[in-house]
Amino acid sequence: MTGFISPRLPLYASLAASGLVAGLAFGRVEPVALAAPFLLALVAAVPGREPSVLARLSLDRDRALEGDEVTATIELSSAAGVDRFDLLVPLPPELSVEGAPVRSLLLRAGEERTVELKLRCERWGAFSVGPLLVRAGDLLGLRSWEGEAGEAQRLRVYPSEETLHSLVAPLETQVFAGNQVSRVRGEGIEFADLREWQPGDRVRRVNWRATALRGELWVNEQYPERNTDVVLFLDTFAEVRAQGRSTTDRAVRAAATLAHAYLQRKDRVGLVGFGGVLSWLLPESGTRQLYAIVDTLLTSDIVQSYALRGVDVLPPRTLPPKALVLAITPLLDDRTAAALLDLRARRYDLIVVEVSPLELLEPDPASSAQLAHRLWRLSREALRWRYEQVGVPVVTWREGVPLAAPLEEVNAFRHLARPA
Amino acid sequence: MAGVGALLLAVALAYGRGLGAALWLGGATYVAFVVVHFEHRVDATAPLVAVLLLLCGELSAWSFDERWQVRADAALAWRRGAAVGALALAGLAASALVVAVSAVPANHGLAWTVAGAAAAVGAAGTGIWVARR
Repeated sequence: MTGFISPRLPLYASLAASGLVAGLAFGRVEPVALAAPFLLALVAAVPGREPSVLARLSLDRDRALEGDEVTATIELSSAAGVDRFDLLVPLPPELSVEGAPVRSLLLRAGEERTVELKLRCERWGAFSVGPLLVRAGDLLGLRSWEGEAGEAQRLRVYPSEETLHSLVAPLETQVFAGNQVSRVRGEGIEFADLREWQPGDRVRRVNWRATALRGELWVNEQYPERNTDVVLFLDTFAEVRAQGRSTTDRAVRAAATLAHAYLQRKDRVGLVGFGGVLSWLLPESGTRQLYAIVDTLLTSDIVQSYALRGVDVLPPRTLPPKALVLAITPLLDDRTAAALLDLRARRYDLIVVEVSPLELLEPDPASSAQLAHRLWRLSREALRWRYEQVGVPVVTWREGVPLAAPLEEVNAFRHLARPA
Repeated sequence: MAGVGALLLAVALAYGRGLGAALWLGGATYVAFVVVHFEHRVDATAPLVAVLLLLCGELSAWSFDERWQVRADAALAWRRGAAVGALALAGLAASALVVAVSAVPANHGLAWTVAGAAAAVGAAGTGIWVARR
């Protein structure tokens, strides 16, 4: 610990010295009498010694959801006691503490004290809580010792998820069994059509009623249940942030929700973080993949970059053929816009979920700012039109609206338009 | 000067700066006052003025500490109050002793001379001890 003295000590010393000098200079006792209490305060500060304090910080859990409360427990003990012990748990802005962040305690000799702090997880992320910043001092605050105590604890706060009743079905399925009814006919449960019997057809597939009507063997055809590959394409080139809210926060929440929902359907889900820092996870299924995706999402951040980047920098296995690519983007960066058009040109089944930044941007009342805002909105409209021209549904997810609403819009778009 | 000192003290309490200058001006004003008005007498209120100056410093510092958003044990405030009170009383006693001892004539016997010398040695020793710590 590092020792400090209060600014009052030099002040008192100078006052006392001046009083003594003035007493000598003027030959009077009053300045000396004036100096006496300050000299006494200096003497009172001297006996203070660096205290020995044991501190241990622990969290009741290391994983939490956005909005959850986590209890941080601090155990303190001191053999010699401390007149005044201040402690502060350094927290990132995404975590807040109930009440005052600094605690001041009286630690008696040999006493063990436990302090509990309720930490509220305001935003998702991977955080480090601690080590504690502590200060031990005397009662008058004339001398103190500051330092760090305890070990830092890791806390992962997962984004809260939206409720989804239905998901966007990919246009094409993969070869493994899953929950998605394939458009291709084969062995399955869902009835598709009737056709004439062919050599090799199993007897149990014969539709006896149709056979009796037509006088020759007819068999049932079914749609098989297959799995799908879904790639979540998260745009991390740029964001709009205002009043503690940002487009990235919502994009991450949407990605976590979609990953969870698709993985529950036994689909394989991959992740591409497309921005200043490129990150990816190959499509896999299962709970382990969900944790891997969420852990990757927690480290997603906007990193300023001027690098020209296209989808060709991604490893080929990141984007398997016939995969449904769900792009979650605020449509703020041209590089993402170009990459998505490139994906569509490569005949990927692409859906763009636009995380609307408009609610976070209030245009300045000045006429020039209004005009710029309108032009910017027009350019966004033009970009959306470009996507729709190539058969890519673009749905806008506005703040305060459930994620299910834009996904239903995609389903409606797919009923009306038949992508090539 | 006293007015400026009081003003500085008010500024110090409001903005947390200038406490040293305020105490300095307060002390200097008092010394100037006694030099001018108490030519051949000792001002008996000097210990009280000294303790009030000390209390100004201690209570202002306490006030600054309380401005931080801190959740403190109730016992801390009581203990600090007691410590400030004890320091003020001890300061008052020490200051009064200085004033009282000054009233003793210089040529009042060997015992007083020895006591004075011991006090001087003790003060110097205390100063050295404080400086070394």
